[in-house]
Amino acid sequence: MSATQIIFWFLSALALVSALMVLLSKNPVHSVLWLISVFFAISGHYILLNAQFLAIVNLIVYAGAIMVLFLFVIMLMNLNKDMEPQKNMWMKLAGAISGGCLLMILVSLVRQATEIGGKVAEMKTGNIGLIGNLGKVLFNEYVVPFEISSVLFLSAMVGAIVIGKKD
Amino acid sequence: MNAIILSALLGVVMMFSSILTENRTIIRNIAIAGLLILLIGNLLNTYTVYSFNIDSHNMLRFDKFGLFFNSIAIASTLLYAILSGSDVVKVGNYPAESFALIFFALCGVAILSSYNTLLMLFLGIEIMSIPLYILTGSDKKNLKSNEASLKYFLMGCFSTGILLMGITLLYGASGNFNIESVHSTSNAVTTSYNYGILAPLGLILIFISMCFKVSAAPFHFWTPDVYDGAPSVFTSFMATIVKAAGFIAFIKLFSIRMADLGPSSSIILSTIIIATLLVGNITAVFQQSVKRMLAYSSIAQAGFMLFALYGNNDLSSEGILLYSAAYSIATIGIFAILIKMKDYTFDGYNGLAKKQPLVAAANTVFLLSLAGIPLTAGFFAKYYMLASALKSNGHAVLWLVIVAVLFAAVSVYYYFRVIQAMYFKEGEAETTEISSKFKAGLVVMAILIILIGINPSFLLNWFYF
Repeated sequence: MSATQIIFWFLSALALVSALMVLLSKNPVHSVLWLISVFFAISGHYILLNAQFLAIVNLIVYAGAIMVLFLFVIMLMNLNKDMEPQKNMWMKLAGAISGGCLLMILVSLVRQATEIGGKVAEMKTGNIGLIGNLGKVLFNEYVVPFEISSVLFLSAMVGAIVIGKKD
Repeated sequence: MNAIILSALLGVVMMFSSILTENRTIIRNIAIAGLLILLIGNLLNTYTVYSFNIDSHNMLRFDKFGLFFNSIAIASTLLYAILSGSDVVKVGNYPAESFALIFFALCGVAILSSYNTLLMLFLGIEIMSIPLYILTGSDKKNLKSNEASLKYFLMGCFSTGILLMGITLLYGASGNFNIESVHSTSNAVTTSYNYGILAPLGLILIFISMCFKVSAAPFHFWTPDVYDGAPSVFTSFMATIVKAAGFIAFIKLFSIRMADLGPSSSIILSTIIIATLLVGNITAVFQQSVKRMLAYSSIAQAGFMLFALYGNNDLSSEGILLYSAAYSIATIGIFAILIKMKDYTFDGYNGLAKKQPLVAAANTVFLLSLAGIPLTAGFFAKYYMLASALKSNGHAVLWLVIVAVLFAAVSVYYYFRVIQAMYFKEGEAETTEISSKFKAGLVVMAILIILIGINPSFLLNWFYF
């Protein structure tokens, strides 16, 4: 077993266990912390697939920004045992059905995709996930929308100051 | 390209001008000068004298229609700044930033009149909308303004989400962001499978989102509250230039893709048109506040503008340009007078003709134009819309045209209530101070309305020049 394989199995196990713990842990703050661990494991997988940019963005956006938002919301709501909202039967049923539908679609997709059957992911090859390629596309084909979106951010920033500053 | 680049730069210039000066009159004058530069820049581009040459990889396409609309939008903004500029700088503590946001919104307008991919459509709509959310809430001490801003922001976000979902589905169907339904041959997946349902589904979602943006019923619920709650000067900007730009974007996409909606497209469109006319006109009848009445009337006018989608020919593209000019000028004028009134109800206008005969006369011309009385620009605007629908579809849409004319007759009722209050009711209409420059501006606009109303080719000749 090579080093890459060891890392792969370790990351997969970590991702699965953490994902299960997100669902199983009683404390919502623990759930969020386990979710961060899931994101780290998945970012590790991205790096194995030679997609460094995706890995970093996944960490910054999901593990960084969105998780902080999650934590803020949970802490602001101040959840505890006696305030926990009552979930009725129908809610549980609806959740089970919608989750089951998603699972079914995923399974059927994997079953239909005959091209990938029995193949292993190719490690350290391909350059689609490298930041250089993204930069080339962004500054050649998509340079006009890229530059124009700066106007969008500028107006949003002006707005933040106009609305937010104390008079 | 001139309009996009110049308006973004002038927005930055406005931002910096607030560092250099606190004087609100100077700021207003800088904005007017900026708008003049922008107008000249766009005219240079329209008549191919000079334009910035930037390879947009076919994401933006500048045709005469879009450039001419830019000129109309910029010229309307110029009139707006001259007439109501002194009121813009009164709202809030950041007068220069308000004008900067108006310039950024104009940048969005210029993108929407020239976009060639759905990516640019999204960017244009966002660049146009985000300044408006802020302008709506710029009167921070006023609770109604805050409420309107939040409502507008949330509704705008929802509709943008729907737009993005539609764009995603269209991308899934064709493999690119083009507004024409071209399948990119490089993408093997899309050519080997038939994703027949994705394109109509995506188009319907985009259609719904665009209906939100132009406030067509049944997606109009945000309009009255937002238009009523926003500071009146910014309502004027929102209801005219921005709304017309929304229509241009709407028409640019659906003049190409309407057929892809399938055989039911004309049913969808006629339902929306009738619902919009019904809701706008009937609800406007029951309003007590002129500002709220104008909000509903803008919904009703949207119903007429939607006829351009039905027509989809030369007449309709001329018509929508004429309509946006006529509607913008008249509405800017009415709002400019409304801002000067102390009482926004119909009763507030009682006896205005005796106190301010010139202002009342100009207001009458604007109201007649919105109602579509002959010899005003509004008549030809409505005529072009209905004629274009008849030209393309023949007698199959005759019933729809008759319904539209009936609703135009209903609209006469609530527009004439203002005229009745001004001329035939006793009262002391209280106004803030009205300068003679303001009156001169009103007269110029009224003359413009009548000139276009007598001879619409006065405006349209420039289009073919």
